Amino acid sequence: MKKLLLFILVLSTLLRADEAQDIMKKVDNNMRGQNVYMQITMRITSMGHTRTMKMKTWAQGTKKSFVKTIYPPKDKGITFLSLDNQMWQYVPKIERTIKIPTSMMLQNWMGSDFTNDDMVKQSSIVDDYDPRILKREGSVVTIELTPKEDAAVVWGKIVTNIDTTTYTSNKDLFYDEDGEVVRTFFYSEVKQFGKYYTPTHWKVQPVDKPNNSTEIILEDVKYDTKISEQYFRKSALKRFSR
Amino acid sequence: MFKLIIKLAWNNAFLRLSRTLLVIIMIAVSMSMMLSIQGIYDGMTVNMIDKTKRSDCGELSIYNPKYRIDKVMNNDIKDADVIKVSLQERADVTAVVTRFSVEGLSATARKSTFANIIGIDLDAEKSFGQFEQFLKEGELKLGKRGTLIGSELAKSLKVHVGSKVIFSTQDRQGDINAIALKVKGIVQTSNITLDASVLYIDRSRLNAFLGVDNTVATQIAIRSASPTLQASLQKQYPNLEVKTLLELYPMLQQMKDMMKIFNSITFFIVMLVVFIGILGVMYVSILDRIREFGIMRAVGMEYRHIRLQIFLEALFVGVVGYAIGAFLGFISLVYLHQVGLNLSDFSDGLASFGMDTVIYAHIELSYFSNTFFAIITASLLSVVLPLQKIKRLNPIEVIKAET
Amino acid sequence: MFSLALKNILFYKGRSITTFVLTFVSTLLFILYVALMDGSHGSMLQNALKVYTGSIEIYKKGYRDIGGNEYFITDVAKVEKVLDKIDGVEKYTSRYETYGLLSSSENSAAAMVVGINPEKEIGMSELSSTLVEGTYLSRDSGNCLYAGVDLVKKLRAKIGDEVSFVGGASDNSFAADLFKLCGTFKTGSFEFDASASFITRSYFDELMYAQNKASYITLKLTDLDEVDTINKEIETKIDSSLESVSWKVLMHAMVEAMQVDSIFGYISLVLFFVVIFFVIMIFGFINVSSRVREFGTLRCIGLSRGKIRLLLFYEILILSTAAIILATPLGAYIAYYYSIHPFVIEGMSETYKQYGVVSDQVPLSFDLFTISWNVILIYLLNFLSVIYPIMYINSFRPIEATHHV
Repeated sequence: MKKLLLFILVLSTLLRADEAQDIMKKVDNNMRGQNVYMQITMRITSMGHTRTMKMKTWAQGTKKSFVKTIYPPKDKGITFLSLDNQMWQYVPKIERTIKIPTSMMLQNWMGSDFTNDDMVKQSSIVDDYDPRILKREGSVVTIELTPKEDAAVVWGKIVTNIDTTTYTSNKDLFYDEDGEVVRTFFYSEVKQFGKYYTPTHWKVQPVDKPNNSTEIILEDVKYDTKISEQYFRKSALKRFSR
Repeated sequence: MFKLIIKLAWNNAFLRLSRTLLVIIMIAVSMSMMLSIQGIYDGMTVNMIDKTKRSDCGELSIYNPKYRIDKVMNNDIKDADVIKVSLQERADVTAVVTRFSVEGLSATARKSTFANIIGIDLDAEKSFGQFEQFLKEGELKLGKRGTLIGSELAKSLKVHVGSKVIFSTQDRQGDINAIALKVKGIVQTSNITLDASVLYIDRSRLNAFLGVDNTVATQIAIRSASPTLQASLQKQYPNLEVKTLLELYPMLQQMKDMMKIFNSITFFIVMLVVFIGILGVMYVSILDRIREFGIMRAVGMEYRHIRLQIFLEALFVGVVGYAIGAFLGFISLVYLHQVGLNLSDFSDGLASFGMDTVIYAHIELSYFSNTFFAIITASLLSVVLPLQKIKRLNPIEVIKAET
Repeated sequence: MFSLALKNILFYKGRSITTFVLTFVSTLLFILYVALMDGSHGSMLQNALKVYTGSIEIYKKGYRDIGGNEYFITDVAKVEKVLDKIDGVEKYTSRYETYGLLSSSENSAAAMVVGINPEKEIGMSELSSTLVEGTYLSRDSGNCLYAGVDLVKKLRAKIGDEVSFVGGASDNSFAADLFKLCGTFKTGSFEFDASASFITRSYFDELMYAQNKASYITLKLTDLDEVDTINKEIETKIDSSLESVSWKVLMHAMVEAMQVDSIFGYISLVLFFVVIFFVIMIFGFINVSSRVREFGTLRCIGLSRGKIRLLLFYEILILSTAAIILATPLGAYIAYYYSIHPFVIEGMSETYKQYGVVSDQVPLSFDLFTISWNVILIYLLNFLSVIYPIMYINSFRPIEATHHV
């Protein structure tokens, strides 16, 4: 009898762990599909005023992504390419392609609350973390993501709230090593695109600067279309800048 | 005869006890103070030089000639492992380490800053420069993900033992690569640049991370007592740079020179004044007894015996003073050597020069031997003038003279 | 009593001369040594300040700890109006510091790019005088970049080359531009020379949207000694979101280093004084001990112990005063002369450049207050030295003294 209980307990834990992995894989899939094209509006609030930027992004799998800025006019044409683990930027105003060095990687991307690292390394959710279910409320599962031993991520842990009806998150809390929240991601307005779901309104809030935030609104989202390989070559930077 | 002279000298030296005692005290106190000061000053320089040797470049270091200007991975030393083995086989080399160092970014959830990662062989570093003495907190382990972080870098990232630090840089292929490290210990080398930027990790781990292997190194550091080693190594490896500690850190050479000059001047001035003190006492003491000497001459004692007696008198005073001074000085130096001078109130200022807050004195035999010779010389010289007076004595006149 | 003392001095020439010479030498030595120490510290400070840091700097609170665009001073003109009315502020200028990526055709490097007012910087910092190649900036030099030699080396650029800049503007939006390398400088501080570059504000402000903004305002004072009073005055007059910080805080490490240096200097002096004290005492003692009969006689004819004390005191007073009167003006004059015409150690600036020493001159400090307490100390030393001899002589009973051998 005891043995059976034990067996069930172990099985359920395993199942739960597997379930957590499963959930995260689905969430990750929703975020990128095979490939995804998006047009995004980014609103950055800091120091009392708000700036708006608009961009088009093409992403293939986890290693390739290309971003083109289309608004505001002074930043129009600035392109970013991230290929494997390298990142380049083309600035039409000075007609230069610059390779972004390590030291800039952890700086904030274009002044937002995202880091360059965020923009490049989006694959980590599944590969770099061990998920564990903390609780369930209705269809919302709260999962704690703990970085794996070797994972090169700065966070102590991430706690994410996944709505299992759509496999999207509605809130992510990023903790430092000492267990304090450093930033919060809020997701809302989930929309369906083919077989994928994704929240179309994201907001990042740093805890130590409550008056700052970065909002991302996904305007046009297309999954699994044919994206030409040309977008993921260095020549793309200048070519698609216009 | 000589026994008599010695007895006379001894008794006369201590005839006017308080006077003689004063001189002895003067010699003893000045000597011990001077020795202590010398010990502290030398201690400061020796300490700094020693720390730099142990934490960084040893007595000699080999670099790729382009490396010191542009510290990038590509300016490394090829065949470093072969060079290392050949160096270790030399009789005049006591220890060799190879290091591979790369600049990059260190980050925590809240802060990121510039850092330098150095792949080391911890055991080799221990025999190279007693690396274990640099450990300030935590333990001296590296393992797979462990790192030893410089004390100032730890402060700037606000991390402690057990914290996680991400280091990212470009590997050999130019890809940006990151590695997660756990702080196992905090080290303080007193080498300002190191303490503010270093993350030590295990060399094999660094190789895996960067895609390099043990055949390359950015620095080969050598401990050796041989003064000819640099020349012979430079000849053997004409395509590499072989530099001494003082060439790499010219500032240390200047410090050494300055200290030497300063200590010499102090020594000279103190000995000069001590000489004046002895001179005064001996002069008066002899003049007081001029009748006595006159009588001795009249009675038939030879000038040279009187001279000997007077020399001995001066020597007794000098030697006793020296002995007490050396004793006091020794105690003081030993204390300062073990316990040191605590200047933690000025830690920021000292740290900016790469110095510790506690300064330990250096002890050298030459302190004692130099002072010995100086005092002996001073004692003997001090009686030259009075001796002249005695030489020209006319015994009869002296006996007649008024006191 | 006094005339007796005078007579005694003239009679016992040996002791008098030695004591006189020793006091003379120690006074002179003391004055000059302290003058040298203070002078070199003063000049170290001036030099360090001249290079880049101001005697006082005004920041928005939080900038020095955290930094970033959030902590810029947002109304520079308002602060400058306040500074115009404060006495003792000789000059001021604002600087706009930002970090970005500079790229040449060969290489790129993260660097600090600072928007400055080039003419105002002349006389406030060493930027213009540390020019090595090319030209320094002017108000209208446009996109001319003035960079440190080691930064330029890293970029493998030469004068006239185009250098691109990528970074964030004051509102955090993206900023990029092309600069032209017009000049290079070398201060000797490797960290500075490898990461700092300068451009005129009239051009940079447009790119950065930084008009009327600044990272901080740096001040030069007419009299460095007034720094604390002026700093307090500024603090009361500027906005509470701003702070005014003196060099003592900004260059905290240097202040402590100077203190350490002073301590060691004084320790050495103490050693000298101990030795000199002993010697003066010995001579005093010898002199007194050879006059035991004389004092015995004096006591017999009715002189009290107190009078004897007075006599000996007068003797040392006359001797020290004579020596001090000669040594002090001489020392003061030398200090004064060399404070105006510092003496030059060739090559010193090359050697100590990393400590911010940019000139070969070593001035002495001329300060009457310092000289006064130096002199008082010497007097004290001399008076102390005569205590033991006095005690010795007074321990004899008169008759016994007259029989002394």
